[in-house]
Amino acid sequence: MSKFARPTLHGVASSLAALALAVSTAAHAQDIAIGALLPLTGPAAPVGLEEQQGVQFAVDRANAAGGIRQRKVTVLYEDSQGKPDVGVLSFNKLVDLNNVPVVMTAFSSISLAIAPLATRKKVLVINAAAQSNKLANASPYLFNTIPLVENETGAITNYLVKTLNKKTAAIVYENAAAGIDGKDDFKKSFEALGGKILAEEPVEFGQTNYRPTLLKVASVKPDLVFVVITQGHPTYVEQTAQIPNFPVGAGTTFVSPLCCYAGSAGWYQSSIKSGISPELEKEFNDKFKTKNMGFYAREYFNSTNIALKAIEHVLAKGGTLSGEAVRSAVLEIKEFGSSVTTISFAKSNTAVRGVEIQQYGTDSRKVLAVEEGK
Amino acid sequence: MLFLQLLIDGLVSGCAVGLVAISFSLIYATTRVFHVAHAGLYTLGGYIAWYASTQGLPFVLACVLGVLVTTAAGALIQRQLYETLERRAATPLVMLIASLGALAMLQNGIAILFTPNILQFPNPWRTQIVSLAGVSLSYAQILVAVAGVLVFCGLLCVSRYTQLGLRIRAVASNPFLAEITRMRPRAVYVHVMMIGSGIVALAGILVGLDQAMQPYTGILMLLTATIAVIAGGIGSLTGAFTVSIALSVLQNIALVVMPGRWSIAATFGLFILFILVKPEGLFRKR
Amino acid sequence: MTFILSYFILATIFSIAALSTNLLVGVIGIFSVSQAAIFGVGAYTVALLTLGQTLPFALALVAATLLCALLNMALALPSLRVAGDYFVVTSFGCQLVMTAVFINWATLTGGASGLVGIPSPSLFGLSADDSPAFLAVAGSVLAVACAGFWLLMRSPFGITIHAIRLDELAVAAAGRDVLRCKLSVSAISGAYAGAAGGLYASYLSFIDPTSFDLHVSILILTMLVVGGARTLAGSLIGPFLLLALPQALALIAIPSTIAGPVRQFIYGALLIAFMLFRPQGIAGRRL
Repeated sequence: MSKFARPTLHGVASSLAALALAVSTAAHAQDIAIGALLPLTGPAAPVGLEEQQGVQFAVDRANAAGGIRQRKVTVLYEDSQGKPDVGVLSFNKLVDLNNVPVVMTAFSSISLAIAPLATRKKVLVINAAAQSNKLANASPYLFNTIPLVENETGAITNYLVKTLNKKTAAIVYENAAAGIDGKDDFKKSFEALGGKILAEEPVEFGQTNYRPTLLKVASVKPDLVFVVITQGHPTYVEQTAQIPNFPVGAGTTFVSPLCCYAGSAGWYQSSIKSGISPELEKEFNDKFKTKNMGFYAREYFNSTNIALKAIEHVLAKGGTLSGEAVRSAVLEIKEFGSSVTTISFAKSNTAVRGVEIQQYGTDSRKVLAVEEGK
Repeated sequence: MLFLQLLIDGLVSGCAVGLVAISFSLIYATTRVFHVAHAGLYTLGGYIAWYASTQGLPFVLACVLGVLVTTAAGALIQRQLYETLERRAATPLVMLIASLGALAMLQNGIAILFTPNILQFPNPWRTQIVSLAGVSLSYAQILVAVAGVLVFCGLLCVSRYTQLGLRIRAVASNPFLAEITRMRPRAVYVHVMMIGSGIVALAGILVGLDQAMQPYTGILMLLTATIAVIAGGIGSLTGAFTVSIALSVLQNIALVVMPGRWSIAATFGLFILFILVKPEGLFRKR
Repeated sequence: MTFILSYFILATIFSIAALSTNLLVGVIGIFSVSQAAIFGVGAYTVALLTLGQTLPFALALVAATLLCALLNMALALPSLRVAGDYFVVTSFGCQLVMTAVFINWATLTGGASGLVGIPSPSLFGLSADDSPAFLAVAGSVLAVACAGFWLLMRSPFGITIHAIRLDELAVAAAGRDVLRCKLSVSAISGAYAGAAGGLYASYLSFIDPTSFDLHVSILILTMLVVGGARTLAGSLIGPFLLLALPQALALIAIPSTIAGPVRQFIYGALLIAFMLFRPQGIAGRRL
């Protein structure tokens, strides 16, 4: 029995390892490779796929323009499955086997898990969508091109209390990392400005029946209901419409899909300022057969361009391509402007960006104000 | 007002759980296989109907299509998988693992074909609301309740008053005797799987119509339903259906006093206590 | 190099978990889909004890092992009062309840955001910071686990528990205390899962509830089925193969958009295929 085990184990493991090595070095030696560790499967998959499109769009456009200094750019995608242990394995693979200097990351828990590895291996990790507050100081090699939950929530709470005079609120939040963070941050900001939280109700990730929760929330009669969910938005709106006089809703970028229905007209949302030129959007839609270039696609498009720009900066100065060098390049360049947004890394590893306050109409949104980031 | 609405909502969602419960009860009581792939068939039915609806088919036809396809899938699983294993004298553990495998294939097959996103039925009439005495229900909810009660009564009638029902109950009570008296239990198993799969498909379609579709929610629905089946007493359709409703209502009302985060834990915790105290169920039939 | 080592380390950790499931499901025949929950308890225990510098790694691991042994015994109790199929629901239920506890008892477990910065094991002042050192630690624990399993299977106790799976009534009639045997096996199984979890937490330095949910339980079960039940080799082959599967799949040109569900689909197909055509797995005995 044990005799059977050893040859098989040995054989399987080493042949697989050899295969993996062979395939990975098959890429052209002159190509510039960057890594992208995204949740392509699992609960965050819909978002992960959109992010992937953003990255690919940036890389394809760069190559169409001749690559970086005549060298082709390739992206090595790894699926983190939304799980930290798989993320660690995949990160190690990208760094050890493929020697990438930059890895695009997504999802708070994955990014937090690979942060210490990024520090140790000196690989630049760029996060373009996760907003957990712990990401602020997770690693000197982790850069966030998106304001964290704290910053964005602060902006909208300010508006709700100071301009709209809301005094009481209830919170409906997803019982997962992003939702719990969002709930805690809103509670902190709202209470700091003198507001009172009347109820905090969780819903499970992927849940589709919100009715009991909504009834409970409506029964305490708050001035507004702050929503922190990342999926199931149309269903949420439908079910609030079933309750007469349901209070007005509010949320951050997460809840963008709550717009634009009859049931959610009049609701408020903070939105990280992120645009896109119509030509680019059309090109994107044609390429990926989508109807619009969503938030995550834009952010990853923009952040990948930042990575590519930093890489070019390193090569232009004749340096060797390493994580350390690319990181220094980012800090030297500091400000990155594009049709998507302007990002500044002057103060810290987390981008400072403007936050818009929007209100939903029945088929579009209106920008009411812009709060500058801190 | 709050309580009344919660109660009514609980009654409605209880009907959906009830459909899953009676179909599972039928299959389990007859074949003795713990058919976890039932959750996958629940999902399959919903998605087939959803797809047909988005392709322009009127809802009734889409519904029928979903039920038919799922019925066929159920029969396939019984014939090709369970029966083959049973002929080889497989242990219940092996059957269970095979069923788990079928569940994984169904759920992920659906995720591959339709993406893991949450999807909604395109029919606009489903969200229209009817208000009566301070309580409001959507058309889809009304459909769930009506279908639930009708199918339950129908199944009860089939079980009590038809030849097929008699045969099913005979096989369920003593498969060995059924075999030697030429009742052909294996054919009955296929029939039972077909009926059960059709019913659970209907549940999946109607819940999807009322709320939304997602490839991985079937398992939680199934587990709630099995709690109802066991608590109601294995073999009792009435027990399964009524406990399903009671459980849904309880879950809804408990939300008022208990933080929602502990809802799942409370349900299963209570269940574990329950079977320690009264393992034969409330409406004991065997 | 780190990549290959990290694959080996994770495979080693999951082998210990597979041995745990092997004892419970393969040997004594108690169906379980809650092994990931116990694994999780082991992970959180070691994480919490080493984070506050309360205990050195070795002692924390022992504590996790003991706690999980007791916990698994407690969870096995319902199965002893009710017959096989009820326990299926109980097992699913336990897994779901534990996941809910991991997420909601935030003051203890860090909630959905998890615990960060778990230190690497240090023994006698030497720190197992890098991969080869950690592999040595994990490998030693696996070696102990394998030795334990091997000895157990050959002991009189081992023969009794094999018999219980085959015909519980006969064993009881022969005067053996079936209840005590089942509880003992649950305890040992729990201990193994707890040890694996503790190593996991130390290795990744970050844990959150998603690593310990139902899908992981099913993965471990698949590892057992593929590798083979009731043998030592089976519990080693299964994890090594299944952890390599995603890498092998990456060599085939599946569009990455569907790679994940494809992988899970394949796990499901593997379960069915093995049950239909090779219930003893690659190197095991018939389930």
